[in-house]
Amino acid sequence: MIALAIGIAFGFCLERAGLGDSRKLSGQFYFTDFTVLKVMFSAIVTAALGAFWLARLGVLDLAGVYVPETYLLPQLAGGLLFGAGFVAAGLCPGTSCVAAASGRGDGLMVVLGMFAGVAVTGLAFAPLRHFYESTARGPLTFPQLLHVPYGVVVFAVVALALATFAAAERWERRA
Amino acid sequence: MSEALTSAPLPRERERVAEGRVRARAYSDPYLAGTALGLVLLASFALAGRGLGASGAFTTLAAKVTNSPDLHQSSWLLLEIAGVVIGGFASALLARRLRFTAVKASRATIAFGGGAVMGLGAVLARGCTSGLALTGGALLSVGSWLFMIAAFIGGYVLAPLLRRAWR
Amino acid sequence: MRRALAIVAATGGVLALLAGSPYPLDVQRLATAVAREDDHVTAVELAAWLRGRKPGLRIIDLRTPAEFNDFHLPRAENVAIDALPSTPFRSDETIVLVSAAGGHAAQGWVFLQALGHRNVYFLRGGVQEWTEALKQPAIGRYFGGARRRDGC
Repeated sequence: MIALAIGIAFGFCLERAGLGDSRKLSGQFYFTDFTVLKVMFSAIVTAALGAFWLARLGVLDLAGVYVPETYLLPQLAGGLLFGAGFVAAGLCPGTSCVAAASGRGDGLMVVLGMFAGVAVTGLAFAPLRHFYESTARGPLTFPQLLHVPYGVVVFAVVALALATFAAAERWERRA
Repeated sequence: MSEALTSAPLPRERERVAEGRVRARAYSDPYLAGTALGLVLLASFALAGRGLGASGAFTTLAAKVTNSPDLHQSSWLLLEIAGVVIGGFASALLARRLRFTAVKASRATIAFGGGAVMGLGAVLARGCTSGLALTGGALLSVGSWLFMIAAFIGGYVLAPLLRRAWR
Repeated sequence: MRRALAIVAATGGVLALLAGSPYPLDVQRLATAVAREDDHVTAVELAAWLRGRKPGLRIIDLRTPAEFNDFHLPRAENVAIDALPSTPFRSDETIVLVSAAGGHAAQGWVFLQALGHRNVYFLRGGVQEWTEALKQPAIGRYFGGARRRDGC
């Protein structure tokens, strides 16, 4: 199926980038290795530009692509927690699978930990439910929020990325 | 080093190891790998009408095991994560980076704990770096960017406390 | 190689500023949809959807808040027509636009189609036709079905 093929390509790219290595990933948070930032932001820019232009040229039906829904508070809180767990584990859900697949023992531990965390959260869901469902905004995008054209936001993302990359390169050279 | 090589080298490799380390291919340039990843994401938009994901596969499995109706389920993501495992394995194999490494107990505990906290965060946020930061980021979703920025903040805030663990 | 990537990205980004909307408007497609009457639903059809609890149904009322508070359809949401383009809709939702007589709703239909939404309809005749239809429920059975027997 397409899901499998895409997953294989996904995992391949992640491993190629070195994101299966927890030590490398954690370097992001100690300002020694900016690979995480470079890979993620490059991917975002590529896909955002690609999606915009393919849609603009009529090749892709952008409205038919599922946009993740916005839940302001849960995603803020979830993000903070996720980041904390990330710097401890040195791997995220996707890269932990890649790490485990490469034979790394700590990758497997992160996979197991994630599974445990998710399972426990599911079992203890009742007290979280109200918070979980709060501040829903639907598939809200920045063009809608700021009332600016889609292309303007795409430009802003590209500009931000290029500026960030320049800064990261300078920082790495200093380290 | 915090990781010890415990697997015995294969007969053919012993000679190479004697000369020096087995030459593994270097990692790809991050911008190039990121661009490739972006193209994979774009292909997913075009072919499947949706982006990537990872935590969703974990919630699907956990939901089946614990019978929680509240966890998000997606068979698409299960198949996709199976692909991620295959792809990661294949890449490591081809780059001669396939190594079965053991883990120190302290590192294992922190990795497990970090994974658990990420699990909670991912359930609350309805996604992780793959589904929100990458996919939602590329689709200009407000909540996804919020999640991504919060995650970086969370990581940078906790990092000083874990410095010793990463030494 | 990095420089090449950066140049491509920068070019793509700058051109995106000037490129217009990524949701192309195919006017012929819209005109055909109107001719085929795929653009609207009647009061009776909408009533059936509501009764059958059609999943993902969203009824958007484009009238003024005063008119909305006076009377509105069940489960309707009040949205001003100039706020319609920035209202987020999911692709699995069925959107039915409602206005007083259907004029604004028909215009809103074009707006949402231009933004790429496909599952959009407007209520033909608006709230006026809705209230009329509710008064005469028997009319619903007359869609080319059995004729009313004379004298009954």
